[in-house]
Amino acid sequence: MNGKKTNLTISPIRREWRFMLRQRYVVVLLLCSFLISAFAVITGLSEVSAQRQTIERLKQADNVDRIEAQAKYDDPGYLAYYSFHLTYSEPSNLAFAALGERDIYPWKHRIKMLALEGQIYESDAQNPELAQTGKMDFAFVISALSPLFLILLFHDLIANERTNGRHDFLVTTAKSSYALWGARAAVRFMAIFSCLLLPFYIGALVSGTTITNVLLVSLWCAIYFAFWTALSLYLGKKASSAPRIASGLIGLWALFAFVIPILGNLAINQNVHSPKGSDILLTQREAVNDAWDLPVKTTMDAFSVTHPDYSDYQKNEEGFDWAWYYAFQQVGDQVAAPLSIEYRDATFKKHQLAGYIAMLSPPMLILKLITSLAETDALAAYKYEQKIRDFHHSLRVFYYPWLFNPDAFDKTYLNRLPRFEHTQQNNPKL
Amino acid sequence: MSRIPKAQIWCVAKDEWRYWFRSKLAISVLIIGVLLTFSSVVVTAFKMHELSHDRQAMQHSSEETFMQQPDKHPHRMVHYGHYAFRTPSPLSMLDPGVDAYTGNSIFLEGHRQNSAMFAEQKQGTGLTKLGNLSPAFVVQILAPLLLILIGYSAISRERESQTLSFLLAQGTSISTIIMGKGLALLSVVFLIIFPLGLSGGFAVFQGESLLVVVSFLGAYTLYLSAWALLVLLFSTALSKNSASFTALTFVWILLCIAMPRIASTTAAISLPSAGKLETDFAVIAELRKLGDGHNSNDPAFAKLKQSLLQQYNVDSVEALPINFRGLVATISEAKLTEVLKQFSEVRMQQELQQTQISRNFGWLSPKVAIQALSMITAGTSIETHHRFIRETEELRFSFVQSLNQIQTEQLSYLDDLNRNNGEEAWKKARVSATNWQMIKGFNFIIDDASTRLSRSTHSFFQLFLWIAILLVLIKFAGRRAI
Repeated sequence: MNGKKTNLTISPIRREWRFMLRQRYVVVLLLCSFLISAFAVITGLSEVSAQRQTIERLKQADNVDRIEAQAKYDDPGYLAYYSFHLTYSEPSNLAFAALGERDIYPWKHRIKMLALEGQIYESDAQNPELAQTGKMDFAFVISALSPLFLILLFHDLIANERTNGRHDFLVTTAKSSYALWGARAAVRFMAIFSCLLLPFYIGALVSGTTITNVLLVSLWCAIYFAFWTALSLYLGKKASSAPRIASGLIGLWALFAFVIPILGNLAINQNVHSPKGSDILLTQREAVNDAWDLPVKTTMDAFSVTHPDYSDYQKNEEGFDWAWYYAFQQVGDQVAAPLSIEYRDATFKKHQLAGYIAMLSPPMLILKLITSLAETDALAAYKYEQKIRDFHHSLRVFYYPWLFNPDAFDKTYLNRLPRFEHTQQNNPKL
Repeated sequence: MSRIPKAQIWCVAKDEWRYWFRSKLAISVLIIGVLLTFSSVVVTAFKMHELSHDRQAMQHSSEETFMQQPDKHPHRMVHYGHYAFRTPSPLSMLDPGVDAYTGNSIFLEGHRQNSAMFAEQKQGTGLTKLGNLSPAFVVQILAPLLLILIGYSAISRERESQTLSFLLAQGTSISTIIMGKGLALLSVVFLIIFPLGLSGGFAVFQGESLLVVVSFLGAYTLYLSAWALLVLLFSTALSKNSASFTALTFVWILLCIAMPRIASTTAAISLPSAGKLETDFAVIAELRKLGDGHNSNDPAFAKLKQSLLQQYNVDSVEALPINFRGLVATISEAKLTEVLKQFSEVRMQQELQQTQISRNFGWLSPKVAIQALSMITAGTSIETHHRFIRETEELRFSFVQSLNQIQTEQLSYLDDLNRNNGEEAWKKARVSATNWQMIKGFNFIIDDASTRLSRSTHSFFQLFLWIAILLVLIKFAGRRAI
């Protein structure tokens, strides 16, 4: 099209840009990566907004429900028994890009004053068959798919020219090998980077993600992409057959994405032992149910170990008494506590060890980085569980004085009932 | 072509094998593939066996502790509750399906329908987010990649090295070459399926229906054959090795890696489900209308009281030959269970519709088709989990109601009413522990063979369609290739 003269003055970047756009498969690849990334971001945004709306609806329903219960009863024991409390963990402003473990760990929960160990493992999980497949979020696109796109884009950068017979000609006519391959690689890199991240930037703008988070994600993506590009170019330099290079690279990808994590997972599960969840529940149930038939003193002694203020309490009537009832609920938790703590410690340890394994697997590493920044990883789920525990504790702190001294209770005190949003202020130790 | 030259096809296939043996890449890929399948079969079989053993033991011990409870007020046993565990199906050692994502134990108690707890995935390391070492994963995702690595150049290689025209000139028809190469790839398919077959045989030995196992293995053979055909198609249609490889890899990324997740995400977004917590509020509102089963003075039961007094021709509930409190508990539990059932059915239907949306993507990706087919046939799909929920609910209802019946028949109304008046009255309001023997052994049995097979027909059609279309396309590509 152009005369020879203009071709000589054109910058290498512009030349490569045009050259790239003329290769049909590169354009298809770029378009696909853009579409997939856009799909991930759009569905991510919609999922997050659905979760927020659900929480709003639940908050309202919860309020109505509790007000109804509170209107019906006057006795603090009944009030505590019939009042449910909603807890929830709101998705962060980056959650749209990394839905993380939120389809496995619950992010909404309702509890009441009874033994917590009997309630906290209830889960309101999403459709298990969909969870098993996993979601197509931006973090998945980056960690698992982008390496494949990069491999397809870069593995034959040099081999392609060689098989086309242009290689030697190009090398001899170019000013330097960097001017030739550098410009070509830079153009492709910029193209795939923008195709994958443009939807993310728009999503971040829509959901009000902080600029630091956006920059951090961009930086990690750039490093991650550079890693795969460098790997593809390095391996692609020597070998002559493009499919051979690509299969080697895909083999490496499978090693990083599947083999190392799966072996790591096996090793961790072999080495970290945790009590069975159902054992915690059974222990707790035995403790709570047996208490009905045990002498009151046995329960109250165990109770006053943690609440010495009420140690001189005497059950004033035979038969049923709310203070005693809630005391043995708490004792049930106390009995199950060692198992429960062991269970949580094991889970935490597994998470920690998984972090080390992720160091060996770049796809896992970037997935972990993004989900932890988005607060959608297992750690965020543990923190949420701890917040529920703290909140439950603050409910006990609120009700106990009135349970042990019901005459002093006035229904207006319900205004001071702890609220989940303020849990951390009620109980600063986390 | 009227006559199929079997000897020639055989010859082409043998030659392809000879090429693989000479090429280090192909043979190492082949070995890795078979080893990977084999080890995943072994590891998963051991794991599922252990899980099955554990859950049976826990079911047993839960029943033991229930029966060993001392004399008590029967309603106390209603709240003491019982556990049900789901033991995995024999074929779950090939496809664990949703097992790790659903809880496998349910706590059953009066007046409540709990959800399944302690999903294994929650205690996982999170490292298996991209894939798990189950035979299903290996064969569904990695095996197609192996077929691509081995076969991408099957035809295009001959063309690139000019041997294709030579072969054709010698009188070997293009369809003979394609069939020969296809036969070679098919033998790889059988090599990969072989470990699954062994495991399947073991499942039959454990009591799984032979028909189910055959259908399961047949489905995987169809799936991998579809991939072999895809490989042949691209290798025939594209003139260069590198083009064939790149295109196949790209197709693999789209069909195996992207499409399943696009399917599940689309399903979740287009049909959002309310979740248990949210429906619970509706349940509670509904239940408030029914009255409190713990309180026989609740106005909701006034009518019942009136009709009973008339029926037995007495003036007060104390004079009734049965315990009125027990009867109230029975009736309110029945009504409550009806409400709970309605809501849980609605929720399960929603989940099923969601899953259906996702499964329809099987028309677009054979991976989605085989994924559903495999889980359904193995009895590890969401349908089987729903069945578990329904069966445990029945178990819950039956044990709570038999306790309520004991309360009605064996405990006098006055003793029951006065149970909180001192130690003596407390002791009087009890029934003998021999009553706790009524708890029946719970053994979860997955859906029968014909149900699972009929559920899987939809996905079978999807796979057949894929194969039919690919055969037509290959025929077309072969004609153009000459």
